[in-house]
Amino acid sequence: MLLPLLVVAGIAVGLPLVYAFYLSLTDFSLTQQGVAQIVGADNYIASLTNEGLWGAIGTTFTYVIIAVSFETVIGLLIALSLQKQKWARDITRAMLLAPMFITPIAVGLTFRFLLNDQLGAIPYLLKSLGTNYDFLGSGKALFTLAMIDVWQWTPFMVLLLLAGLESIPKQPLEAARVDGANAVYIFRRITLPLLTPILSVAVLLRSLDALKVFEYVYATTRGGPGTETETIQYFTYQTGIQFFRLGEASSMAFILLLIVLPLIVFLFRRIDRRTSS
Amino acid sequence: MRAQGMMRGVRGIFLITALVVVGFPLVWVTLASFKTPAQLNDPSLIMFSPSLTNWAYVVEEGILQAAGRSALVAFITVAISAIAGSAAAYVISSYKAGGTATRFGILAAQVLPPAVLVFPFLTLAYVTQVNDTLIPLIFAHLSFVLPVVTWFLIGFFDSVPRSLEEQARVDGFSRFKAFLLVVLPQVYPGLGAAIIFGFTLSWNDMFYGLILTPTKSAILPVAIAGFNTFRGVELGSMSAAILVAVIPVLIASFFIQKRLVQGISGGAVKY
Repeated sequence: MLLPLLVVAGIAVGLPLVYAFYLSLTDFSLTQQGVAQIVGADNYIASLTNEGLWGAIGTTFTYVIIAVSFETVIGLLIALSLQKQKWARDITRAMLLAPMFITPIAVGLTFRFLLNDQLGAIPYLLKSLGTNYDFLGSGKALFTLAMIDVWQWTPFMVLLLLAGLESIPKQPLEAARVDGANAVYIFRRITLPLLTPILSVAVLLRSLDALKVFEYVYATTRGGPGTETETIQYFTYQTGIQFFRLGEASSMAFILLLIVLPLIVFLFRRIDRRTSS
Repeated sequence: MRAQGMMRGVRGIFLITALVVVGFPLVWVTLASFKTPAQLNDPSLIMFSPSLTNWAYVVEEGILQAAGRSALVAFITVAISAIAGSAAAYVISSYKAGGTATRFGILAAQVLPPAVLVFPFLTLAYVTQVNDTLIPLIFAHLSFVLPVVTWFLIGFFDSVPRSLEEQARVDGFSRFKAFLLVVLPQVYPGLGAAIIFGFTLSWNDMFYGLILTPTKSAILPVAIAGFNTFRGVELGSMSAAILVAVIPVLIASFFIQKRLVQGISGGAVKY
């Protein structure tokens, strides 16, 4: 019964993966006629010495760290608030979770509109307060993109952390309260340690997903100002599609895969331990 | 007691702020989709007589056809994923079929950066002469929807007691019949959630669509991006296009939120 999965996954994942590796060893280009030549490690050498790629890797990791940190802290605060909330509970939860179901390009375009100098609501509000801020300007654009990520994906953290909070056994909390421990102490010494396993799974899942950021960049900055917001996925897209260099783009994708592989292994071990115990 | 009351107040203000931050962009886009270009020039305008021009324009530009293509791709992808995924999830959960390697493969495929797979799909589509059709796109979407759906279902099969299946076997059911008639119905709620979630993932993807079907069979997210323009006058129609993509999934999401946790964590968190 495993067979259908293995067949479909073999065609949809295995085959392209092997073919991608082959591509990464050739000089394949979309505009070139005839058969691609095997060039061995040339693409990898070109990519590894490409400053643009390293720039994009740095940009992406900065983005992920900013976005996921904010999402974790805000997500935890919202989850804690929701856990205690009684009034209008289900509707509040449903509304707060909504952003994570929206297609990211729609979110990107919405914020591009909201932040528009002349027609956007946010610059308009700031102007009426007598101030202004160039959201997509130099030195600020990457942070703005990370905040768009926070708007869309904090709900994912809320979802997992709320479930984590509600599955924590009640007895230790009760006991601590009877012993007169204050709320901060209970949170730091009991809630947080018990929440750590699901917290780490949530952070890893979110980080791996945030590494793929593409739509917000495509909708708002297209990598600018300069190359400030060129993320790995966007850089690879440009190399492969706009400059037609598929072989080189494939080698970049494999370099990216090597970088994220340890994270995937770590995540798997985290989850596997919990399900098998 | 007073400290507790204060905590409750802070919590309330915090949640209301969060609701405003979440709701504001959506309300703003909804308002904009009913504004004329002249009205768009005034961001403070909240009360106005709604105009359907933007909606008529996006329909004329083929947004519904794009939505139809997106729905078709999502439907086929999810149907294949649900069949192959539920069978696999069952044997992985009950018999540890495929071992650690299979489970790792399923997780890894979910988080695999799409940049790795997209170029092979593109070149293979050219070679087989199906470029700019929905066929390569369906395969591309299977590459992430199938692992997600399978992973999701493992979590639900894990919570079905083994004794149920053993009883069915004692009653003379074959292994396949025991699966189909006894075990599978136990995970219908999870299967339903997995199907809706898988559909949403396919419906929301833009990266594969942008590269594999950029023009004549553009799917919805790619079509929306086409309304992106530096000319402010078209922001109204862009807003309408955005809502066409957003409203169906928001409605669908309300039905599956409770089951998402168990599914996403592969059963690591029961909810």
